[in-house]
Amino acid sequence: MDDLTRRRLLGGTAGLVAGTAGCVGGDANTDADATPTDRELMTSGSSDVDFDHPSATGINDQPTLGDRSRQGVIVAFEDPSCPSCRRFNQNTFPQIESELLAPGDVAYVFRGYPVVYEWGGPATRALEATFARDPAAVWDLKAHYFDQQGQFSTDNVLDRTRSYLDDATDVDGSAVVTEASEDTTAEAVQADYDAGRAAGASGTPTFYLFRDGEYQTTVSGAQDFTVFENVLLG
Amino acid sequence: MMVSLPTRRADWRLMGRTARLVVTIPAYAAVALAATVAGLTAFSLSLNVSLVVDTLSLPISTGSKVELLVSLYPFVGTAFTPLQGGLLVVVAATLGVNVAMVAYHFREHGLSLQQGGTSVLGAVLGALGAGCAACGSAILLGLLSLVGVSTSLLWLPLDGLEFAVVALLVVVLSTYWLADGMRGGQINGCPVDA
Repeated sequence: MDDLTRRRLLGGTAGLVAGTAGCVGGDANTDADATPTDRELMTSGSSDVDFDHPSATGINDQPTLGDRSRQGVIVAFEDPSCPSCRRFNQNTFPQIESELLAPGDVAYVFRGYPVVYEWGGPATRALEATFARDPAAVWDLKAHYFDQQGQFSTDNVLDRTRSYLDDATDVDGSAVVTEASEDTTAEAVQADYDAGRAAGASGTPTFYLFRDGEYQTTVSGAQDFTVFENVLLG
Repeated sequence: MMVSLPTRRADWRLMGRTARLVVTIPAYAAVALAATVAGLTAFSLSLNVSLVVDTLSLPISTGSKVELLVSLYPFVGTAFTPLQGGLLVVVAATLGVNVAMVAYHFREHGLSLQQGGTSVLGAVLGALGAGCAACGSAILLGLLSLVGVSTSLLWLPLDGLEFAVVALLVVVLSTYWLADGMRGGQINGCPVDA
């Protein structure tokens, strides 16, 4: 069983568990309008899709909010250490979550693309390891990285990740850190990186937007909610 | 050849007076305004060329297309912080004045390649600065890693807008050299040297 398949099976099972047990908390939710229940529901399962675009290679194995069969799909390449990604997640993403994802119009697919600062690499591996255990918690960990971005360095990122997961989620932080340290998530990270390269992502954040299964355009930078709304629903 | 730099207060006064004399001529004020808008547009849209092109053929209303494109500009959308947006506007405005002076100098006195070249260099650096600001520091870090600079030790206080700061310096230098080239002459009947 390859790593992606294993991760997908683990993720699907964990998503069902997360939907009933609740596994979020701490400051990770303070930047989003959606409640934890909304987020858990949005990660509880998604249809498989087959988009004809390099950015969408393997997206059925990726962390996703909402069903990928929805009218609009955003495939986002982000780096936890990227300042523009932080601004996008703090300024634009909450509105996308509450006005596009929660009503059921759009799905959001996250792909790690660690190309800025070095600590973004282990952080991305930890996100992959977390996703394999709890698809809802990966969004909280991602938000935590952006909320506390200035506090992270290559030396402390995994220790802080373990502390956050243990304190604020039901995920075993030590197991995630062990997996991230041993590079067992490397294949999943590489799959995202290869997809980004093939799609031509030259920086982060870069978004590939799909409407009714068809690629529409590429958006670079921490752009306004208006851009996403108009392309996907306008 | 010795490169002249604006090191004295009198140099900055000369630059300011020359620029003011040029842009108080309505035709050159229009050139400056057009160049400023063009510069800001280039800086803002350069990172999203495919989005701009694709927008024209998207199945959305014209109003939505206009709203989308306008939101890519600083202070309208969220792509740039106030500091980044402000710096880009300053670079664009400085470039606009610079282009007006280039146009005036070209028409009235002829123009050296060096003076025109530095204006273009400033514009290119401004676009790079906007690109770096909008996409994080990835482009700048990538370029620096190519020349062996360790990115793990790097801290970029402007999140990649350092290119725009360099662009501003280049455009200001170009403006100074233009003003220096007009020293001793007259603009619109007024002596350049106060």
